[in-house]
Amino acid sequence: VITTEVLPDDAALRLERRSRVLDAMEAASIDILVLGREANARYVSGVPRLWLAGTRPFGAGCVVVRSSGGVHLLTSWDEGVPDDIPHDNLFGYTFNHTNTLAALRAIDGAAQIGVVATDAMSAGAAGLLSSAFPSARVVDGEALMRSVRRIKLDAEVSLIRRAVDIAERSTAAAIASLSPGTTDRQLTGVFMEAMGGEGVCMPSIQDVAWTTSRTRAWHRSGRDSVVAEGDLVVFEAGVMVDGYAGELARTVCVGTPSDQAAALLRRCDDLWQRLFDACRPGAPSSALLTVYDEAGEPPPPMPVAHGLGLGFDSPLVSAHLPTTAATHRLEPGMVLAVTASVWQGGIGAAVGQEPIVITDDGAALLSSVPFAP
Amino acid sequence: MPAGLMANAPTAPFPSNPDRGRMQRDRMARLHELMTHQGLDALVLLGNSNVAYATGFVWPLSDAGRATFERPVAVVLADDAIPHLFSPLRTDDRFDMCLPGDHVHGPVFLEFDEGAEHFVDILAGLLPSGSTIALDEWTHPMWRVGSSLFSNGVPTNAGQVIGQAKLIKSPDEVAFLREGLRITEVAAAEVHRRIAPGVRQSDLSAVFLGAIFDAGAEANVMDPIWQVMPSRVGDGPWTTTGDIACPLLTTERPLDKGDVLWVDVSATYGGFHSDFGRTWIVGREPDARQRAQFTRWQEILRAVLDVTRAGATNADLTAAAREASGGGTPWLPHFYLGHGLGIDSAEMPFVGSDIGQAFDESYQLQAGMTLVLEPIVWEDGACGYRAEEVLLVTDDGWVPLTDYPYDPFSAL
Repeated sequence: VITTEVLPDDAALRLERRSRVLDAMEAASIDILVLGREANARYVSGVPRLWLAGTRPFGAGCVVVRSSGGVHLLTSWDEGVPDDIPHDNLFGYTFNHTNTLAALRAIDGAAQIGVVATDAMSAGAAGLLSSAFPSARVVDGEALMRSVRRIKLDAEVSLIRRAVDIAERSTAAAIASLSPGTTDRQLTGVFMEAMGGEGVCMPSIQDVAWTTSRTRAWHRSGRDSVVAEGDLVVFEAGVMVDGYAGELARTVCVGTPSDQAAALLRRCDDLWQRLFDACRPGAPSSALLTVYDEAGEPPPPMPVAHGLGLGFDSPLVSAHLPTTAATHRLEPGMVLAVTASVWQGGIGAAVGQEPIVITDDGAALLSSVPFAP
Repeated sequence: MPAGLMANAPTAPFPSNPDRGRMQRDRMARLHELMTHQGLDALVLLGNSNVAYATGFVWPLSDAGRATFERPVAVVLADDAIPHLFSPLRTDDRFDMCLPGDHVHGPVFLEFDEGAEHFVDILAGLLPSGSTIALDEWTHPMWRVGSSLFSNGVPTNAGQVIGQAKLIKSPDEVAFLREGLRITEVAAAEVHRRIAPGVRQSDLSAVFLGAIFDAGAEANVMDPIWQVMPSRVGDGPWTTTGDIACPLLTTERPLDKGDVLWVDVSATYGGFHSDFGRTWIVGREPDARQRAQFTRWQEILRAVLDVTRAGATNADLTAAAREASGGGTPWLPHFYLGHGLGIDSAEMPFVGSDIGQAFDESYQLQAGMTLVLEPIVWEDGACGYRAEEVLLVTDDGWVPLTDYPYDPFSAL
């Protein structure tokens, strides 16, 4: 399918997502939701906006009003805006807090709003919100959005699968270019160009290829160092398609692996298989940490699993958050990237990550290539 | 290739090899001065660019969603010359030169109560109780569990502290910025060679993405813009201003002969964002009317450059642009005539923005500020010309930070 127009997200998907949010607002007695995070704004509005890398300061990028069900959006034009968001609800880009304030005050019933929820906060925004909604108290809207977004609709899983497909093919192109003499930087460029060739130009990760260090875990010498025979190179790929992230990681040895390198790659595969087996509905997320523990593998600084969706989805499973992991349950419809990461001094690291969806009786792989490279 | 407008301008006084250690020492001196002035004991920084500024740690930026959970966090203490960094990201050898090991820590996951509690404990070990802490932003878990962070009510805005510190670029910073601009221009030239009827917009992005990494960029910053401009405003999307919609998103739309492309791309290098803007024409040379538009654009740019110097106000620049354009407002009304460039794609000074005329009249340019000037010429029915020029403000004028040509147009 060739996309030549900027279109809003599919109407059924968009409206289902929005109604989930409105229901959650109702249940939590939240009058108005002020969203700064692009993923949250996309979820309720269905509007693709300019992709930007990195975090951005919190600001009113999208506002949802419970009483009317209306969505107000920060954009200066209506391209990609569905007709359920009328022109009156669009407020243009501004560098002036007074204009943002005016846009917020113009929302019906602003002066009477009792509870406003935000997905983040800053000193500037706190002042702005108290002026715009003088009788409101501010509560946690990120928790609400995270809870609503954690279980994916079937259409969302399909979109994630599409993103995974492109991530896999683009990774394969980069792996095909792996040979002694190339650099992590060049391999990353190959991935990016292959992804762009698929008509998709938004990576979720931009540190795609990294040659692992034999002397330090979670370290590499640098992007411009030359790949040599025997190096273990990780390809960590992420692609955003229609707003949804597809992510995976594979480790490849340059040339024929030594016995020790082959053993490390097997260790990674074994660990991933055990992690996959632990992904069952009703299991606590900490089951994944237990797998690392029982395998005697120290978990990496990055989460060992993270949700996939429009961006920063539940769950996030990290050894740094053991209590959170123990109280959080895996549920059918959750989509996550599960990561096996092992390191051995003198050899390097192997990282394997696959996207999965939790099903009624276990989990299903969303990538098409079997795990072991 | 014809020379760019900037080709005959004086060369800028900054090193060809920036010194990262010196750059960070300069930044910390600035931050400490501002912190002393505002009575701040610590800055807690969550924003990617603020962390990069304070620590010198640079990494390839992720999508905004992923960037939220893998974000590094920085803590700048008033009595410590070196900031602390908390990060889940893998390190490389270059990073070892930025910060000593005892200031580099594992990740803090501030999106969770457990992570926020842990972080508050860490801060308690770094700071005496009752310390005044400024934050650039915070998560709800930080608000719930971090009473020590909010003991004075709403904390001071650490983002503004960084905003003030980053206004004036040091020679090392300008050198990094200039290299990022050069890398972006190498990639843009690669794309320009591929412009032809039938090529898809997304193909241009593919070439650009591959080329910026090859040329040395850290990361891409935004979905590259290759907007096919309508000849009339009324043929484009509805806008809140009634004016031109730009930038519109890239699709797989194939280019046609004669399409006018407004190009806008950006990449990062050394923690700095670049900016590149030109007008390209698909498959043919510009016609007489388009050349006349470009001539007018150069006249506007020159008029603005003629008044650009330390001590000039933003309003001096906007007045010069308006006068040269014959009285109109020759820039996109939802943006500005110009903006600063540094660790963010658009930062102060904003010239001609909706902050308003009173602000522009009161805001004085200073030596060491950067400016991206992006006037436009528009003839409804005949499309228009837009390009961006990047410069450094000096005591007696400005110096260019790029000399990229205006192909397929010939500079005066």
